[in-house]
Amino acid sequence: MALLEVKDLRTSFHTEDGIVGAVDGVSFSLEKGETLGIVGESGSGKSVTCLTIMGLNAKRNTVSSGEALWKGKNLLDMKPRELRDVRGNEISMIFQDPMTSLNPVQTIGNQLIEAVQLHRDVSQRVARARAVELLKAVGIPRAEGRIDDYPHQFSGGMRQRVMIAMALINDPDLLIADEPTTALDVTTQAQIINLMKRLQEDFGSAIIFITHDLGVVAETADDVLVMYAARVVEHADVDQLFGRPQHPYTWGLMGSLPRLETDLDRLIQIPGQPPSLLRPPAGCRFHPRCPHVMEVCKTTVPELVPTQRDPEHLQACHLDEETKDREAAKLLEATMAKAG
Amino acid sequence: MEAAQAPEARGDELLVVNDVKKYFPITRGIIFQKQIGSVQAVDGVSFSVKKGETLGIVGESGCGKSTLARCIVKLLDTTGGGISFDGRDITKLSRTAMRPIRREMTMIFQDPYASLNPRKRVGFIIGEPLEVHNLGSSSEIKMRVQELLEVVGLNPEHYNRFPHEFSGGQRQRIGVARALAVNPKLIVCDEPVSALDVSVQAQILNLLKDLQDDFGLTYIFIAHDLNVVRHISDRVLVMYLGKVVEIASRDLLYAEPKHPYTGALLSAVPIANPALGRKREPIVLEGDVPSPVNPPSACHFHPRCPRFVQGHCDVEEPPLYPFGNGHVAACHYPLERWPMSADEIRRASSPVQSPSSQSREELPA
Repeated sequence: MALLEVKDLRTSFHTEDGIVGAVDGVSFSLEKGETLGIVGESGSGKSVTCLTIMGLNAKRNTVSSGEALWKGKNLLDMKPRELRDVRGNEISMIFQDPMTSLNPVQTIGNQLIEAVQLHRDVSQRVARARAVELLKAVGIPRAEGRIDDYPHQFSGGMRQRVMIAMALINDPDLLIADEPTTALDVTTQAQIINLMKRLQEDFGSAIIFITHDLGVVAETADDVLVMYAARVVEHADVDQLFGRPQHPYTWGLMGSLPRLETDLDRLIQIPGQPPSLLRPPAGCRFHPRCPHVMEVCKTTVPELVPTQRDPEHLQACHLDEETKDREAAKLLEATMAKAG
Repeated sequence: MEAAQAPEARGDELLVVNDVKKYFPITRGIIFQKQIGSVQAVDGVSFSVKKGETLGIVGESGCGKSTLARCIVKLLDTTGGGISFDGRDITKLSRTAMRPIRREMTMIFQDPYASLNPRKRVGFIIGEPLEVHNLGSSSEIKMRVQELLEVVGLNPEHYNRFPHEFSGGQRQRIGVARALAVNPKLIVCDEPVSALDVSVQAQILNLLKDLQDDFGLTYIFIAHDLNVVRHISDRVLVMYLGKVVEIASRDLLYAEPKHPYTGALLSAVPIANPALGRKREPIVLEGDVPSPVNPPSACHFHPRCPRFVQGHCDVEEPPLYPFGNGHVAACHYPLERWPMSADEIRRASSPVQSPSSQSREELPA
């Protein structure tokens, strides 16, 4: 049984302007110790997918359907009490902005101790020892002394480490990291990515890594989900995705990326803007921006189906496979340095 | 404080920055404020920019990139050093004397949400620089604004809309149009794409390149994303804690970085190619950028440097040693080749021959 199995997850928000379908039929499964990367632009539904799994959407105006089976039990049906036992304990989350996700008027220590004592019946002393241990594990120097500091006394990278320590303090089976390095400098980002990889080896947790940075995904994920306008457009193993991308949107993302390894005079840009989810385009949602658009794309929604070559490589595009392979090869030729 | 020397502009140089310093005072007390220290945000930075060139400036947050940008366009007064623009010394110009020069150097800001006045219409926002500089009647300004909207890829009919009606990428286009309005020679771009999604970022980068070709613009492009800087720049300047650590042409800097800090930055960039990424061994820097209030002695990078040699790097400040072709780097123990593994980097070689006077004189071309 998969650790987490998400089936046809849908979330919509009822707003004054109408219904926003923020997540529209997302399915995936995750095994123990595996890392799933979710990529997409802002508003593509990556964060909402995870917030829905965690039951963190505001109850008002939100309608969710589908299943998120956590060790066989549907998280969406759980009572708030049951959910509280899972959240922060078996599944924990790291948020994007380390500056705003810590409580500024509580010491780091108190916040970590609270996280332990919510889920474990342990004394203050034991909880504190555990907090120090975790702060050391994430590489905070002089952890015993710094545990009584307030968040403002830490730098951005340090705060993100504290967030990671808090997320890991109860040995979660799944860690959801929502853009954990986006607000950080490259050097700090490299530190945090290394840290997460090391901790994954030590603790064996599964990780869902949400990001808009294809470079970060390439370095961290085993499996990648590409989302566009609330839907999954491609889902593949990381080597497959970067080696043989099958969806025009994925091509667009890769072409848009300035790279260190290769010279490109002009970036291959995706024209236009992501659509509004209030009134998404009919058919394939990418069709208004797609350079390969056909008549069928404007009316029929492409299903997420495996490619003929690889049953694990899912993609949602009407183009025939031959054309896609040719386009993918062309793109890789233009953008990627040969591995070797 | 030394007197500002107006640097000599050589031929095709549009901007020459010579030993610019910007210290922010730290004061204590409410009524009787006394200075108890200073933040050395920019500490003796020298470089020049040729006409039609793009100079990229990279560094981590807090290294003084944005302060430097604000000093160049004189949004901040410098504490020391000289800036000459298009052959004129602008270091000590008064606000009124500066005004005509402001037409020639404009700025694009990072945050497309905060840098546009939400209560003004787009037409007014873009036309305001023209109005300030008395460049035409109101009907001429309107024509010009509509032309600009078209140039940056927006619909000229959106003249009367408010900023909130546009997406992030479109707002950044408005920022670009505003910077272009007065036909500047130099545009200082302070992290213009870091708040944008990759696909939109690509659109803006392509737009900036096209505009440079069409109007012969000179850019100073500040960013923390090394991929972006590599894509757009002709030459790159790397800053660390208020100082220049390396300047080189783009190809040289990315192919043969000399300063260990540049090497560490390059190796920290995630590669969007899993096969290539798995092969390399990144040099992970420990710790954070130290505080510019109390920077480390001599070479500011020495506490984090994998090649740190005690008794040399923490005692003697490295000058910018020349490495040929305008490539300079401030390191006693520069990298011999690139890429290097973390182990090789730790084995510091012999130092550059003792710093002589020649290295100082040979400023970056």
